Amino acid sequence: MLKTTQLYSYHSLHSKLTGFAGYEMPLWYTTTTDEHMAVRSSSGIFDVSHMGRVLVKGESAPSFLEGLLPTKVQAQEVGRAFYTLLLNDRAGIIDDLIALRTGEKEFVLVVNAANREADISHMEQHALAGVEIVDLTDSSAMVAVQGPRAEEALQPLTPLDLHSLKRLRCAEAEVMGQRSIISRTGYTGEDGFEVVVLDSSVETPGKAIDIWAALAAVSKPCGLGARDSLRLEAGLPLHGTDMDQHTNPLQAGLGWVITAGKSDYVGSDSVSATRASGPDVVRRGVVIDEGIPRHGFQVLDGSGPLGLVTSGTFSPLLKKGIALCRLKPERTKPGAEVSVSVRDSTKTGRVVTTPFYDESHYGWKRANGN
Amino acid sequence: MRLGEYDVPDDLWYTKEHEWARKTKGQTVRIGITDYAAKTLNDVVYVAPSKPKDAVVQFQSIGTVESIKAVSELYSPVSGTVAAVNGDLESHPELVNKSPYVEGWLIDVVATDFASDCGRLLGPKQYAAHLETLLKQ
Repeated sequence: MLKTTQLYSYHSLHSKLTGFAGYEMPLWYTTTTDEHMAVRSSSGIFDVSHMGRVLVKGESAPSFLEGLLPTKVQAQEVGRAFYTLLLNDRAGIIDDLIALRTGEKEFVLVVNAANREADISHMEQHALAGVEIVDLTDSSAMVAVQGPRAEEALQPLTPLDLHSLKRLRCAEAEVMGQRSIISRTGYTGEDGFEVVVLDSSVETPGKAIDIWAALAAVSKPCGLGARDSLRLEAGLPLHGTDMDQHTNPLQAGLGWVITAGKSDYVGSDSVSATRASGPDVVRRGVVIDEGIPRHGFQVLDGSGPLGLVTSGTFSPLLKKGIALCRLKPERTKPGAEVSVSVRDSTKTGRVVTTPFYDESHYGWKRANGN
Repeated sequence: MRLGEYDVPDDLWYTKEHEWARKTKGQTVRIGITDYAAKTLNDVVYVAPSKPKDAVVQFQSIGTVESIKAVSELYSPVSGTVAAVNGDLESHPELVNKSPYVEGWLIDVVATDFASDCGRLLGPKQYAAHLETLLKQ
């Protein structure tokens, strides 16, 4: 039996539904392309209530997370939102997450729906006295507002001055009168916000449905189809597809997440060892001239196999097939000519830097971005 | 006829895998995917059908049609030889969604024995009944 989110009544009327990580979620409302382009040119909203939200608080919360995360937690001031990883002893990626430092001794971790239980059990294994771990997933809703006009869509619903909430910052605020946490974060490559609506359950949703309806009047509801094509076009990896417990951060192209010089976290020895020898595989972006690359397709050049596509799709902006790949580091630098085996034919393409789009025209760095 | 939001023209033959076939002239049969198939794919972004002169066999693959999210195999309603492919789909694959039965056709096949192929295809009423069963699931 699939679980539903606080916004199910809207989705069941307006979208094609699909099962995802145990939840019945919208796949699309109109078309994936239409929703994708709305986020790139204006704004779109996503129900991300299925994602896990875990509160970590208490006297030892900062030192607990310092021992767990490859990010220097002490350097993250209250009000920071930071992307980080949960690693196992061998530095395999248990999950990737956004951590919100909501207080001196309080953090909210936003984790992948499919990994929530594994994440919590990993945290409990390493827990210290003076740390409380509270799963907020069922008692909160979460909506992402993404795109160059996201601020304009969300601002009327909250007294918080969104213009002064900079990228990768978070703040507690009321949204339509309901206690919420707003962060300037997202998974589309665009400027935008994620709103955790607190004190909202499926049975007692509070203002969650009203917030969604108010946003839907000015911003395009988007399903999981567009969420995937947007993140891929932005070159953002997806846990479970582009990386997993058998991939370390350097193999996954996430070495930048590790704070330089940090060496006191779970998995740090393995990270150091990989750093010393160099990773055997790396994450690369590939564009092909014809056809659409998909998970598992082989990437090769004239001298032989180079690795595999970990996720691929059709880019609505480039109008070409794009892929994140796990490739040998040699012969795959940006600009390298490679091919992808697409079923029974071989399609030519090249290694590129990500995001796949031109950042002067799309994404949060574009002119007028925040 | 219409079945919910899906259009099922009365003058076509169908496969259970949601391809349609229409005899045009002589032994030429035009092939495409149904409104149901197009809507289920949601937004067709790439079409890779068989090429002219390819031999095709009834119910065997004649290429793929892809949405952003998914790949769908195409199966031929008839046996014969590909005579033409719809070149418009190369730059406008969305025609498959906009007009699955007219502008969004996929290939023309010169059928070797259309009459006997039809014996193994569904008529409009049978296809509508097949769809109805699927929609109930």
